[in-house]
Amino acid sequence: MKAVFAGLIIAVGCIEVAHAARLDDIRARGTLVCGVFGDLVPLGFEDPKTRTLVGFDVDVCKGVADSLHVKLELNTLSVAARVPSLQTDRVDVVAAAMGYTSERAKQIAFSAAYIQVPIPVLVLSDSGIEGFNDLRGKKVSAIRGSTPELFARQKLPESEIVTFDDGPLAYLALQQHKVQAMAISQGAGIGFRNRSERKVRFLAEVLHWEPDCIGIKLGETALLDAVNAGLGEMEKSGQLQTIWDKWFGDGTEYKLTREKKLTPLAEFENQP
Amino acid sequence: MIDILSRFGTSLLIGQFPHGPLGGIALTVVMSAVALLCAFPFAVGVAMARTSPIAAVRRLAAVYVYFVRGVPLLLLIFWAYFVVPLVTGVGTSATVTVICALVAYEGAYLGEAIRGALEALPRGQVEASRSLGLGYWSTSTYVVLPQVLVSCLPSMVNQFIILVKDTSLASLVGVHELTFSANQINAQLLTQPLEVYALLAAAYFVLCFALSRLSQFLESKIARIRSGSTGSAAVVAIAEAI
Amino acid sequence: MTFAILEQADIWRLFATGLRLTAELFVFAAILGFGFGAALTALRQSNRWAAPLVIGFVEYHRNVPSLVQLLVWYFAVPQVLPAILRGWIEQNLDGFVFAIVALSLNAAAYISEDLRSGFRTLPKGQFEATEALGLSRFQALRLVLLPQAVRACFPALVSQTLSLFKATTLAMAIGVGELMYVARRIDGQTYATFAAFLVPTIMYLCCTLAIMFGGERMQRRLVATGADSR
Repeated sequence: MKAVFAGLIIAVGCIEVAHAARLDDIRARGTLVCGVFGDLVPLGFEDPKTRTLVGFDVDVCKGVADSLHVKLELNTLSVAARVPSLQTDRVDVVAAAMGYTSERAKQIAFSAAYIQVPIPVLVLSDSGIEGFNDLRGKKVSAIRGSTPELFARQKLPESEIVTFDDGPLAYLALQQHKVQAMAISQGAGIGFRNRSERKVRFLAEVLHWEPDCIGIKLGETALLDAVNAGLGEMEKSGQLQTIWDKWFGDGTEYKLTREKKLTPLAEFENQP
Repeated sequence: MIDILSRFGTSLLIGQFPHGPLGGIALTVVMSAVALLCAFPFAVGVAMARTSPIAAVRRLAAVYVYFVRGVPLLLLIFWAYFVVPLVTGVGTSATVTVICALVAYEGAYLGEAIRGALEALPRGQVEASRSLGLGYWSTSTYVVLPQVLVSCLPSMVNQFIILVKDTSLASLVGVHELTFSANQINAQLLTQPLEVYALLAAAYFVLCFALSRLSQFLESKIARIRSGSTGSAAVVAIAEAI
Repeated sequence: MTFAILEQADIWRLFATGLRLTAELFVFAAILGFGFGAALTALRQSNRWAAPLVIGFVEYHRNVPSLVQLLVWYFAVPQVLPAILRGWIEQNLDGFVFAIVALSLNAAAYISEDLRSGFRTLPKGQFEATEALGLSRFQALRLVLLPQAVRACFPALVSQTLSLFKATTLAMAIGVGELMYVARRIDGQTYATFAAFLVPTIMYLCCTLAIMFGGERMQRRLVATGADSR
């Protein structure tokens, strides 16, 4: 049995070596396969009118593909599938609210952080819940495999965390009183709040401030450098700001200002 | 509900096609059909192995069938999607992984149905063919399988219905089939889960109910054609096996 | 591929809670499913007006995926109930209860069909004989007809039991912390994917093989006793 496993590990190792020059592959085939969400407004979702994928992360992917001078191919992923999809070469990069955590950094590589967003908690407007203390013994929903799930487990140890496979289901559970709160990153959370006709509100306390990065397979340093260079260009030309304004700016229902510009990963690496 | 259909109807039907990948009901049907077509030769192989004259082959096939029947399909899909690519280093799209899991699953179930039909065939047929000088493979190809496969036709349609229902699990690994499309519509509307899920259930019901009528029609037709012959006994045997 | 997580007691505690919930889902849903399934068969046999309703019930459960049935029960059905009832449900019932309701009704639909075909194998003379012996309808059913019908469709009932056990995995979609949910959670937290799925696979296989082989053994005994009584 051990020998079989050892053999498998060697085999996996060989494959990794063989594919280390992913950037060359991307250039050769002329497409960048980017993993995004398919059902989380406004990060990545299907526009009902055009039936195409649109969203903030989709535009970021497009910018990165442009900077590599290749075409973009989108691949929708569930939240829990993001890390495995990188590890198994289903996608080249992932841009899907990919929050940096030290545990994840052992599995995949992260680009510089293109946005930093809080992870707040949504509660029903008429629930009388004001802070994290009121959530003791209550149920909190989150998306399976998301950073909000992770930080809710850390910051709300006396609440029961209930996970669902996608954002809408986790939100429905809150709306139908099946849970008393929902941990969700800010952008998607505002989307839920606004479409709920203000039946839900945010707590003032937040679980965590999260740097969102582009995820890349470990060991693909050339691709990582190229993505970082691409993001740098997009920041310098104002493209990242434009994309932000398009999806989160004053002209949108979100009305968020982009507080932090592109930030090198080194600044977070000593965080938990 | 009409409102939802007019806004999202096309999306439910074909997903992003032709601007993007196929989705919705169309993907559900295509996935089920591809899985059935790929599972069929595999299932014939499993059935023949289960009735093979070689004991070791029989035992191996039995282990396979018991293993597959013992594992929840959802777990099999998660293995195919999360674990197998990590171990082998080969990752394909979610749609293909789920189809592979379905083929492995159907191979066992359809294989058992075909085996039921094989065993329902009177021994005399095989004995007569062997005494005419035909070998094992010739007997299988020219005498046994043609009769068995025709009598398996209704059960193939039944397996297709089961596959259509089973593809709903693919939504849990992000395949854009019908259930996923409904969840996507939920993501847009948020406040009308009742209407969306009622529509979803209705869509599956219409599809599967129509197919089950087709299966009954085929069953009665085949039974009529072969009434009095051994075929109808085989049909009954399979119907009972499923 | 790492198995280091299997040395942590916490991980095993999580697996154990998951396995317990799976077992609870299965046992409750099986009891309700068999009871309700038998009731449906009786209803369809005895009441001319109820028959179309039972047929509709069975067709719905046969033609809609179990996952969708579960989502309908959890997210859609409470929405059509009056506000007072809905409030009570929201306060008191969680995904676990909805999962049991959905799983047991689904099983009941299939079981009722199997029992019905079991009854159809009985010769008509049996019922007349019980009447001649002066047994009441209930006594006739309990003492004479039901045991034979169950014997006739026993393999089908075993396979429904097996399907029901495997269907408990779907409850993770509505946030019930059964074994599959636990596996996904451990995978998400530790990224030890292989170990996180291997342990539950072995646990599931142990249970399902027990059901399959137990069922086959009971079937052999039933056939033997059936031959004796004849």
